[in-house]
Amino acid sequence: MKLIFQPMKRKINLIPIILLFFVTFSTCKKENPLPPDNDKPDSFNPTPYTLDLPFYFPTVLNIPPDNPMTIEGIELGRYLFYDGRLSGRTHPDSLMTCATCHLQEYGFSTGINHPKFTGGRPFGLTGIQTPHYTMPLVNLVFNSNGYLWNGMIHESNDFLYENNPLYHRRNIESLVWMGIVAPHEMYGNVDQTVQLIASIPMYAEKFEAAFGTPEVTYERISKAIAQFVRSLVSFDSKFDKYLRGEVQLTTQELQGFVLFTTESGADCFHCHGASQNPLWTTNLFYNNAKDSIFNDPRDRFAFTGDVMDKGAYKSPTLRNIELTGPYMHDGRFSTLEEVIDFYSEGLVFSPYANPLMHKLPDNGAQLTPNQKQALLSFLKTLTDESFTTNPAFSKPADL
Amino acid sequence: MKNIFTTAVLLSILICACKKEKPIDNNQPDTYGKIEFKFFHKVDGLPLVTDTLKYINEAGNLYEVNEIQYFISDVVLHRADGSFYNINQWQDIHYVDTDIPATQTWNVFDKIPDGNYSGISFTFGINAQKNQSFMFVNPPESFMFWPDVLGGGYHYMKLNGKWQDPQQQIRFFNFHLGIGQIYGAQDTIYVHNHFQVNLPNSAFTLADKETKTIGIIMNIENWFKSPNIYDHNFWGGDIMENQDAMQAASENGHDVFSVDFGCCNK
Repeated sequence: MKLIFQPMKRKINLIPIILLFFVTFSTCKKENPLPPDNDKPDSFNPTPYTLDLPFYFPTVLNIPPDNPMTIEGIELGRYLFYDGRLSGRTHPDSLMTCATCHLQEYGFSTGINHPKFTGGRPFGLTGIQTPHYTMPLVNLVFNSNGYLWNGMIHESNDFLYENNPLYHRRNIESLVWMGIVAPHEMYGNVDQTVQLIASIPMYAEKFEAAFGTPEVTYERISKAIAQFVRSLVSFDSKFDKYLRGEVQLTTQELQGFVLFTTESGADCFHCHGASQNPLWTTNLFYNNAKDSIFNDPRDRFAFTGDVMDKGAYKSPTLRNIELTGPYMHDGRFSTLEEVIDFYSEGLVFSPYANPLMHKLPDNGAQLTPNQKQALLSFLKTLTDESFTTNPAFSKPADL
Repeated sequence: MKNIFTTAVLLSILICACKKEKPIDNNQPDTYGKIEFKFFHKVDGLPLVTDTLKYINEAGNLYEVNEIQYFISDVVLHRADGSFYNINQWQDIHYVDTDIPATQTWNVFDKIPDGNYSGISFTFGINAQKNQSFMFVNPPESFMFWPDVLGGGYHYMKLNGKWQDPQQQIRFFNFHLGIGQIYGAQDTIYVHNHFQVNLPNSAFTLADKETKTIGIIMNIENWFKSPNIYDHNFWGGDIMENQDAMQAASENGHDVFSVDFGCCNK
């Protein structure tokens, strides 16, 4: 929004404003359902973390007021993200953590060539498969529209938050809890995890640096990992560099970009963004005309109850899309070529298909082989190698 | 030559003197009221029911509406003496989304000088000067971007729905308005399809310290009605690259909006 500030022309009595500020502030504090971390010493002063973003990136960040990002918190989160003992177990066969399924080299998705999960389909410690394929962890600090394919982790879940201040379904912090306890993931329990992490000598110093005291709690574990995940920001793909005037795209890549951003072309941009939405997703939910029968108990409809959400899933970001296959919530497409073929001639009618799928009468965009190749070339410009190799996001060397 | 110069000067003075409309000082007035706009969406006089194939437009298309997202901007409050007040102190462009209730109320920041106003006008969409890419970087406004290759800036509106074609097949329409293109042999001419809406029967009186709620209604059927009967079977599902379709739609926009001062009486 354009902001126009009116210059003050009169003297203003500040006392009521100050009083109002304190009243508002204290009210806000009361509304915070999380118990305050009372163990922090007065001298505790962690280093605030700032994101230095390009001009075309969103400025509104989704950071909970009770978990500001700090250098120390992110560093602790990085260790926990990569520490297999987060599962609450120490046997080499039972180690599992966030990084087990979210690999940096695959843009923090599982990747189709995962060394353990054949075809990129993860399963938990006891062999139970995850309900859906993995979504990449990237640029989530800009997302306010819920997490997971169906958006069931959402800030609107206040009723759960009030009843259970630590184990809720609101944000990235919630996903840490889910990861620890879910049968299709670590299948552990929080107390066991806290106990184990607390028993590892190196963590005392890191918890103290991040939170003021060495005490290990589940709340702190989840907050630190969430901070690290929020720090996973990607803005240095070839296309970003093109936007900033640092490189030129090839003719084929530009042709692909035009196809991407035109209705007469492939019309990808309404759901997946473009230069003016560099997240390459709206983070909204669409039925993209993959099916005519819907029986997934975890689609968007399962969360909203709105019949028009049948078969709808979050539009995944196309950042690093080259690396984040297999594609769709059920991993039905192994390659980007298959995805492009689907949008070109594989659309299936259902009453629940999103109206943006206006190419349905032709079963898709009907792209020529050259156009498909151009679109593929463009999509590969969204790969951010500095993100997938950034040491700040990598496994700590001493872990 | 001297006579021409004198005539030009006199003519300029005359034009300036005849120009009645003067902006009202936007500085803080001594006595003022506040305005709250509420946005409603109706079809044939009844509140819009989304996702239901039940409406018939002027062309006879059976259709439904799934969602509407749009901008209005440069709202002007007119006085009978030709003076006017621009709403622009904090926000001069407002986004409305049928899926986001918070956008359907606009608590105007401005302190509006009290008194009698003869009418309300606004720009549907965003004017050519302001409609620049990257001026919104945050959702939901940023999701309204209009691709640079098609002229850039932002959609004025996305009205998405479905209709039944003559073969009884359900087809999808993206009634999207924004900058149009006319492709020449050498260059592309971009056409700014935004238009001014003069709300009929929008005179009102604002008292000192009063907050007036003004309902603005989008009468959806009028997008397809007059002066152009808009037939989805003719124009098809996508029109962002069809300036003729967008022009027809924009011409129809003149009477799409109406005002309702009784909308929100408590």
